[in-house]
Amino acid sequence: MQSLTITGVTKTFETPKKGIFTAVDNVSITIEEGKIHGLLGPNGAGKSTLISMISGILKPTSGTISILGVDVVAETEAAKKLLGIVPQEIVAEVAFTVEEVLYYFSGMYGVSEADRRVRIREVLRELDLEDKMHERARFLSGGMKRRLMIAKAILHRPKFLILDEPTAGVDVSLRQKIWAMVRRLNAEGTTILFTTHYLEEAENLCESITLIDHGKVIKDGNLKDIQQEFSKNIIHFELFDRSATHLAGVQETGNAYEYPMTALGEDMAKLTAHYGDNLKSIRSEAASLEDVFLKLTNSGV
Amino acid sequence: MMTGMWALYAREVKRFQKILLDTVFSPLVSVLMYLGVFGVVAGSRTIGEGPHALPYITFVYVGLLGMMMVNSSFSNPSFALIIAKNVGNIIDLQLVPIKAWKVGIAYACAALTRGLFTLVVAILATAWFIPGLGIHSFVYLILALVLTGLEFGMLGVTFGFWAKNFEALTFMTTFIMQPMIFLAGVFFPIATLPAPWATISQFNPIHHNINLLRYAVTGYSDTNPIVSLGVVVGMSVVLFGIMQVVTRKNLRV
Repeated sequence: MQSLTITGVTKTFETPKKGIFTAVDNVSITIEEGKIHGLLGPNGAGKSTLISMISGILKPTSGTISILGVDVVAETEAAKKLLGIVPQEIVAEVAFTVEEVLYYFSGMYGVSEADRRVRIREVLRELDLEDKMHERARFLSGGMKRRLMIAKAILHRPKFLILDEPTAGVDVSLRQKIWAMVRRLNAEGTTILFTTHYLEEAENLCESITLIDHGKVIKDGNLKDIQQEFSKNIIHFELFDRSATHLAGVQETGNAYEYPMTALGEDMAKLTAHYGDNLKSIRSEAASLEDVFLKLTNSGV
Repeated sequence: MMTGMWALYAREVKRFQKILLDTVFSPLVSVLMYLGVFGVVAGSRTIGEGPHALPYITFVYVGLLGMMMVNSSFSNPSFALIIAKNVGNIIDLQLVPIKAWKVGIAYACAALTRGLFTLVVAILATAWFIPGLGIHSFVYLILALVLTGLEFGMLGVTFGFWAKNFEALTFMTTFIMQPMIFLAGVFFPIATLPAPWATISQFNPIHHNINLLRYAVTGYSDTNPIVSLGVVVGMSVVLFGIMQVVTRKNLRV
């Protein structure tokens, strides 16, 4: 079953200075249930606008969005119940303690009183915040506030979780914890939509990705397939004895050699047979997500 | 099971309970100071003569309670929402699965609760030295309090969503609300105003809230209480409509 279906969604804004501005342009994305999907794009690509529309905060100018078959525009509240969202901006309640923030927020999602007490402890323990339960949320450190926002998003056990740059500005240890938590939630059946500026993070976590730029989808699909598509089709190898005779097409690059690849298995076998024990190392070069990103967007991240 | 609207209401009640010094005791001090000044100035003056004469201090006292109700109910949601906008956690209201009209109602009901809470504290602290205080009409009293709390709660919600910053709120309270309250007949019968102010004051909606409460408590009214009730109900209905539009617009851009 599709967890998220976005069909032909466009969002335009009318501004006094720029006139009509199209932030999201005819975007269609589907995410299957149980996947971790990355939404990537340079700043101003339209990611946040798209997330706001999925969250039911912004109404699409045209097109439809449904979460587990529930139309976000027609049945906003029903769709919102299925969602958990960790917004990009770190915000904290001024007056309330961590426990109170979670108690009232989950209450607004209809979590029962008894369940809330148990869940608050569970989630805070998992996020290493249990000892901060009775502290005012506003006095937490930035990383702790980020964890509190994650706790808010998952307390009601959403079927679909949106994490908008959840690891921005957090230390390595917490990042690892967030990754572990994302994997665990996913293993429990939560579908996750993840935006990040750390491309290695997307490579690490996501099975599929959508790259958007200038409001349009420029690439969408399985991460491995995309990387394969953009790989450089080159086999790198190093030799112990550099005086060996070379196969046609081999080029020297410093201390190593490159061989143009047509079929990975066959070419590897050909090189191994030719060089034999003289081969020090051999590898094919798959495109990193960063390569794909830069190629498609012509920009830095 | 606690519904989302109830949880939001409970959160907003909890919020004002956390800052009682600002939300309850600060207005109480204002009332005490007004009473001190007017008690000295008014002496034993009365409104009207004979057996139905109303001590002036009692007249002012009920007006002050009305003023307190108006201010407290307006402040609760307007401050909470403007702070939420400034801090950024207004997004919580945009994310939760609660319909916009229910968000507005939850905030307005919390405003009513704060208004009533503040009023009860003020009455407990001051009523013992106000002469001739009683309840003239229990039905009118309930209507006056509930409708005033909700009406200004809804105005506070509307304004809280609409206003961009605290400057706008200061402008609203200082240049619009306060003059309207002072010309609403809190401190004097509007009939004593020179023309055309007496007539103009009839069009001041806050006058009808004060008048209704004063009639419910003392039996005295500047304007027919039925008319005041009609105006207060009418204002509440209009504000409910406006609040819905503004809330929906702000929670779903």
